[in-house]
Amino acid sequence: MAVEGRAIDGPAAGAPAAPDAGSRRPSAAPWLFRLRAPLPRYVGPAFAVGTSFAILGLWEFTARLGLTTPMFFPAPSAIFLAMVRMFAEQHLLWHAWISTLRVWEAFLLAAVMAVPIGMLMSGYRAVGAALEPAVDFIRYLPVPALVPLSIIWFGVGEETKIFLLWLGTFFQLVLLVADDMRRVPQEYVEIAYTVGANQGQVLKDVAFRAMLPGLVDNLRITLGWCWTYLIIAEIVAADSGLGFVIWAARRYMKTPEVMAGVVLIGFIGLATDQLLRLIHRRAFRYLA
Amino acid sequence: MGPHLQFDHVTKRFGEVQVVETPFDLAIARHEFVVFLGPSGCGKTTLMRMVGGLDLPTTGEIRLDGAPVGKPDHRRGMVFQSYSSFPWLTVAQNVAFGLRYRSDLTEQEKAVRAERYLDLVGLYEFSDHYPNQVSGGMRQRIAIARTLAAGSDVLLMDEPFGALDALRREQLQTELRRIQRRDAKTIVFVTHDVEEALFLADRVVVFSKRPTRIVAEIDVKSRLGEERTLEMRDGEDFFALRREAIGTVRAAAGGEL
Repeated sequence: MAVEGRAIDGPAAGAPAAPDAGSRRPSAAPWLFRLRAPLPRYVGPAFAVGTSFAILGLWEFTARLGLTTPMFFPAPSAIFLAMVRMFAEQHLLWHAWISTLRVWEAFLLAAVMAVPIGMLMSGYRAVGAALEPAVDFIRYLPVPALVPLSIIWFGVGEETKIFLLWLGTFFQLVLLVADDMRRVPQEYVEIAYTVGANQGQVLKDVAFRAMLPGLVDNLRITLGWCWTYLIIAEIVAADSGLGFVIWAARRYMKTPEVMAGVVLIGFIGLATDQLLRLIHRRAFRYLA
Repeated sequence: MGPHLQFDHVTKRFGEVQVVETPFDLAIARHEFVVFLGPSGCGKTTLMRMVGGLDLPTTGEIRLDGAPVGKPDHRRGMVFQSYSSFPWLTVAQNVAFGLRYRSDLTEQEKAVRAERYLDLVGLYEFSDHYPNQVSGGMRQRIAIARTLAAGSDVLLMDEPFGALDALRREQLQTELRRIQRRDAKTIVFVTHDVEEALFLADRVVVFSKRPTRIVAEIDVKSRLGEERTLEMRDGEDFFALRREAIGTVRAAAGGEL
């Protein structure tokens, strides 16, 4: 019993520095070794940042020792320098902006179409039955396999890229939206009916509102997939964008530049994800 | 004056499943508090949902003031056990939701009315809270206030206090009974809790397990009167009635409790 009491006291007592507290009490950090134990505040971010830098440090160290060939596996510092140079001399920011724009264009197009269609698919069984086979079929087609077709249809301009990105996300999103809608408790719908709402009002005021938090989460996840397809599209047919930059650098074996491009995509993804999470937390405070 | 609500030879089948097999007849007077008491799966909830227009009878008819009930509308309000309020609306907005689709009232009339019922159920000071920030008992009060604000004269309640602890339950039962008498509502209340049924009801309708059939009707009003207080629950009369009722329900369940 006493052990448990202390275990609960630990995290509540604020965020003691781990090594310091550890020297006084052997089990001062019960959150470290107890299954599913909550973390004291700031410990989570500290671990996240610490581990990231540790990996970078280890990588840098390995590269400096000469254990890797710089040509194939450059040190983080070399990648960073390459990135700075690319920002200054190769319009990297502009390329990143072009890529981001393409992702959002295609993503918003997919979302605007997928939300109503997905809601109708799960709201009306007939619509679901009619569309599900086609959606499932297309959903399983790998986007790269459709690149040639897309070029035949749309040429090598912007349309091809938007089309490929849309293709990769719309059909996934439709089913995710339909699932979100399916999870809306029947009670909510019936409450609305018994205060006199019609079907349109139920969909708009109740179902959509009820599924919104799940929907935003799914949009956040799907947005990440867009980047995958974007790079494929930009490698195949583009003279701008991060995929183009990476592919061009590869041609001259400029590995640091290739990796700088990849890292930048990672950063953009990380920033976008954190931003969307923040919006989610703010907008859906009522869930807390 | 005819009955407020009338079940006339109602049966219900969902696909292959015959939920209410024997034609069901029951008349409920205006301002009567009727409790459907019976084992789970006996069809009592289905019968109540049909009053609300949420399910349609397979055969037979349910009449409200003599006219067959149609699609759900604000005259018949539902209070569910769970998901009884919208988490994205504040307490006040949830209550006001009962009036949202009324075009015969001005926005100001709606606001005044919502506020009045918010006050009636004792939630005024929690107006700006979200349902997740208040207790389970308060969440059920939100739902009750919403149906009252909507102007429902029939309240359909599906085990609304089922998820509450004993003390909150007693408190809400007392309040509900008080509101029902004050606002003169007709209430159909579904539960499998004998004590709850007796404390709330003017009349308890005891159901058998399927096939759905009324096995007994307990005229609580003539035994306990219309006023119900917490003290009554410890009284001789209530105790005796409870023992009788439990015997009836046991027999109804056919030994399967």
